[in-house]
Amino acid sequence: MTIGFAIAFAILTGLAVIGVARFLQQRQDYENATARSYQREINARNRLTQGQNSVAARTTIILQQRQREALRDEISSETRDTALLVGAGLIAGLTGAALLFTGLIASMRRPLEDLVDASGRLAGGDLNARVKVGGLTETATLGGAFNEMAEELQRRAGERDQLDRMKDEFVLTASHELRSPLTSVQGFAELLMLEREKLTPGQAETVEVILDNTRHLTRLLNDLLDLARSDAGRLTIKPVHTDVTSLIEDAARTMRAQFDARGQELGLEIEPDLPAVEADRDRIRQVLVNLLTNANEYCPEGAEIQVKARHASAEIEIDVIDNGPGIPKQQLEHIFERFSRGDAGETQRVGGTGLGLAISKSLIELHGGSIGAESTPSNGSTFRVRLPASGAASLAEAERSRAEA
Amino acid sequence: MARILVADDSETILLLLRTRLEMEGHEVETAADGHEVIELVRRDPSGPELLLLDAMMPRKSGIDALRELRQEGIEIPALIVSAHADGRNEVSDPELAVNDYIAKPIDFEQLFAKIAELTS
Repeated sequence: MTIGFAIAFAILTGLAVIGVARFLQQRQDYENATARSYQREINARNRLTQGQNSVAARTTIILQQRQREALRDEISSETRDTALLVGAGLIAGLTGAALLFTGLIASMRRPLEDLVDASGRLAGGDLNARVKVGGLTETATLGGAFNEMAEELQRRAGERDQLDRMKDEFVLTASHELRSPLTSVQGFAELLMLEREKLTPGQAETVEVILDNTRHLTRLLNDLLDLARSDAGRLTIKPVHTDVTSLIEDAARTMRAQFDARGQELGLEIEPDLPAVEADRDRIRQVLVNLLTNANEYCPEGAEIQVKARHASAEIEIDVIDNGPGIPKQQLEHIFERFSRGDAGETQRVGGTGLGLAISKSLIELHGGSIGAESTPSNGSTFRVRLPASGAASLAEAERSRAEA
Repeated sequence: MARILVADDSETILLLLRTRLEMEGHEVETAADGHEVIELVRRDPSGPELLLLDAMMPRKSGIDALRELRQEGIEIPALIVSAHADGRNEVSDPELAVNDYIAKPIDFEQLFAKIAELTS
């Protein structure tokens, strides 16, 4: 295509040069002929003044004048021809060039459009995006470079995915292997505590320490696992039609012993006939247990903790309210961030993982809900979970799917 | 109180489960793998009122044993104990008809509540 363009340009230039050269030559010939004619006329006029052969001299003068007129006519017609030639050459050359240029643009346009399209797909995460390499050398090179780049991106993404899988696999296996011995340690320590009356106070205290630590280990394992999942974007929920009241009662039952152990009151205040929610039971239970555990551990002995649930417009609001020491403003702002915990003295005593609230937030958001905290120092804290209530349509749907099952 | 068939490959955990369940007044039979579970259920299909099976056991897992029993038309309620982090995914197959699953380390209060629910 470029060669064609160059040829057209050469033809155009050639025609113009030939035309101009021809014009100059014709002009030169005309001037020479005219000069010779004038010379002859001058000679004739000289002869006339000298009185020689006056008839012949006069004839020569008239002939020469006529010849110059003829020469003028000839040169003007030749100039017109040359101008026509140059003009035709110009028009033909320009038209050809324009046609070639349009063709050139068109032949670049397709590959460029393909490139734009493929870049868009690549940026959108489609690592299989490639372009067809062809056409002009320049666009072909560009297309080839693009494909190489996409290839490299895909290769690296593959490596990264593989590393992620290995990491996930490791976290899963480690957590699995740790769970069985942990079950035994925790189970037998609990067994000892069931016969507390047979233990000396010192022994009972020792077993209590074992239990506290197994609970901490379990929580750490679960939190690390959730965190690994969350990072991999694989923290998922399986929502089913769920009764909020039984969910709260279930969480409270799990925590009852811990509250009793610290002489704390746990009260439930659940509005009757709460609509159901579409929720992953285990995950919402996990969030509620996390909030209750925090209240249990951060509040002093004898504190009062309340769980209130009500229906507010299209949402179910669940509040976990305590009358504990409250949370300072600076901490409250970052409380749902990872590894954000109470002050150092407190965390030494409490021993949480600093991950619970961050995970709770992710889980509630996966449910399309929200979680927030309010606190007045020395006047307790309130954690509020909002979950969208099931609409009438989804209620009917749940009934139907239950009927089908 | 219920007759419960408990299977786990760890003797320690079997001892723990047996002790806690018997303290609750349940009658406990134990198996060390899925083969033993199938054998015990075949011998006396109306015996156990509940199967409490570990998901992962060598030779035959609780999940494989349960799948075989279900194919034979045995409908005894089953609770799967799983040390696997994604326990729920393991037991989500509707053919297994798993009634519930419980994670390790075992929360016994939760376990007792689920047993009461399934055997009432």
